[in-house]
Amino acid sequence: MKPLEGIVLALQQVWAHKLKSAFTLLGVVIGVTFLIAVITVVEGMNRYVQDDLAGSIFGVNTVTIVRRNRITTGPESENARRRASRNPQLTIRDVEVVRAAVPDAWLLSFYEDRNLPEVRNKELRRRNVRLIGGSPDHAELQGMPIEFGRGLTELDERRGLRNVIIGAGIVDRLFPDESPLEKDIRLGPHTFRVVGVFERQGGMFGSIRDAAILIPFATYRQNFSRSKNEVDAISIKMRSAEELEDVTLAVEAALRSDRGLRPGEENTFHFETSEELLGAWRSISRILFAAIPALVGVSLVVGGIVIMNIMLLSVAGRIKEIGVRKAIGARRQDILIQFLAESATLSLLGAAIGIMLGIGLGAVVERISPLPAAVPMWAIVVALSVGLFVGVASGIYPAWKAANQDPIVALHSE
Amino acid sequence: MGSETVYALRGVDVSIERNEYIAVMGPSGSGKSTLMNLIGCLDTPTAGEYLLNGQAVQGLEDDELARIRNREIGFVFQTFNLLPRATALHNVELPLIYAGVPAKERSKRAEHALEQTGLADRMDHKPNELSGGQRQRVAIARALVNVPSILLADEPTGNLDSVTSADIMKVFDELHDAGQTIIMVTHELEVSEHAERVITLRDGMVESHDAQREQRPVVEV
Repeated sequence: MKPLEGIVLALQQVWAHKLKSAFTLLGVVIGVTFLIAVITVVEGMNRYVQDDLAGSIFGVNTVTIVRRNRITTGPESENARRRASRNPQLTIRDVEVVRAAVPDAWLLSFYEDRNLPEVRNKELRRRNVRLIGGSPDHAELQGMPIEFGRGLTELDERRGLRNVIIGAGIVDRLFPDESPLEKDIRLGPHTFRVVGVFERQGGMFGSIRDAAILIPFATYRQNFSRSKNEVDAISIKMRSAEELEDVTLAVEAALRSDRGLRPGEENTFHFETSEELLGAWRSISRILFAAIPALVGVSLVVGGIVIMNIMLLSVAGRIKEIGVRKAIGARRQDILIQFLAESATLSLLGAAIGIMLGIGLGAVVERISPLPAAVPMWAIVVALSVGLFVGVASGIYPAWKAANQDPIVALHSE
Repeated sequence: MGSETVYALRGVDVSIERNEYIAVMGPSGSGKSTLMNLIGCLDTPTAGEYLLNGQAVQGLEDDELARIRNREIGFVFQTFNLLPRATALHNVELPLIYAGVPAKERSKRAEHALEQTGLADRMDHKPNELSGGQRQRVAIARALVNVPSILLADEPTGNLDSVTSADIMKVFDELHDAGQTIIMVTHELEVSEHAERVITLRDGMVESHDAQREQRPVVEV
């Protein structure tokens, strides 16, 4: 008895009882779909975070100084949180300290930002925008290129001019069929002149940036800031990653000395790098990957039990057939292989359906989000192996029962 | 618990020769089925011996018995016992599958066996597309396909009308004329008349036994 015959027989059984088979396979299908979908999404996230997000949020070769850690993963000690909350706001004075500590910075920028309920062009309005008061290098350092018009200049900054660069998402709303350049828009009570438009970024995080409005820091300070010399963040971009560590050490030393921190005292400021974000993501994805086996395991165990039950029913309904097969020369192992092949085929079929559904789900995620749906080959191999394992494991007992039927008793059963 | 051993067969001493055509008769409870099971190697005797082609069968493992059934015995049952979802051809191929015959030779031999029983034009039909007589012809083809030493039939006409029964008995006669050893269990006198020799059992013992020729023994119980 070749396993092939068992496989063909199993497929015939599935085809003959479509609805019953669908329910039989449901557990395995759900488990494998979930397995593939989660791996797909997490792998997609991985790629997205590593290739695009980390670079675009924090920039490549960039270190950012902030008052306190904005990204936390896992439990943070109460002490650390309380200590961080006492850190002083960064100020223009800190900017000068940092500038002096890193004379050879490629780009150095600082900014303050806030949400603005709306921006208007006559009757047209766009709600919920992010207003950034940034130093002249801000846009370039943050990787927000100008599509047309110009960027902010030293002159804009020195004079506190009411010039503004707007994101593509704002152009869509306020200037649907005309060029926004040299037009006036209203930000709260103030009128600003559009001098440039950012390139469209698109995607999940890009759409936030597409709703950004950048004005000179000096202008922001005069019109929107409650405190006159505070900044939210100071960023330094170097030409190579190797320089970054020295720069960080130099800035740390300069800020500590300016703030009069004694050796042993904690920093009263925090460095953000893309490495930090990647580290945070890695710990999140580690948790996800740890959770998958448990969740998938539950549905596979249920699926396996269902298959075992169906196989037991199948054996009970085919006792006579088993008797005939034994009478004409089937050995125990022939019967065993026949039923094992059948349950393995069932389960593998479920796994195959699950893989297809999982890939489909991944494609849907890719459609509605910027995440690339990456189904790694190893995930498919794992899914098929798991399917095979569940099939064989849940088939062993029914197949053993079938193989050990007494041919005389089996032949006389009805 | 004071149990008493009940023997289905006691002191049965039968020897059946190659190319004999035997009918086994007897009322229910006479031990017919047990004798059938022993001859068919579905069961082994608790005491005594069974020589098939001079080879002792008692004491063999299940899987060895399966091999002997596969090669030496061709079963024909009262209820045909075909696989309902398989074609006639596939049903006939089944013993060859267990014998490990390659696919090509398998279908050739199965086709030949179906031709022998007059079903050459029904090979691709499933059992539910065949009449009772045709089903039994498929079953006989299945029994013959491995060229067994013994064709062992258990009430082969029990589920058939008299006309079809006669047809099937003709098939057995032809096979016997071609040299096939046949052992048939039946309670119909008409059927038993086709046999050369009738063994009648009662209460686990041979009641009448009209042996005629002495040749090389094929079966001894």
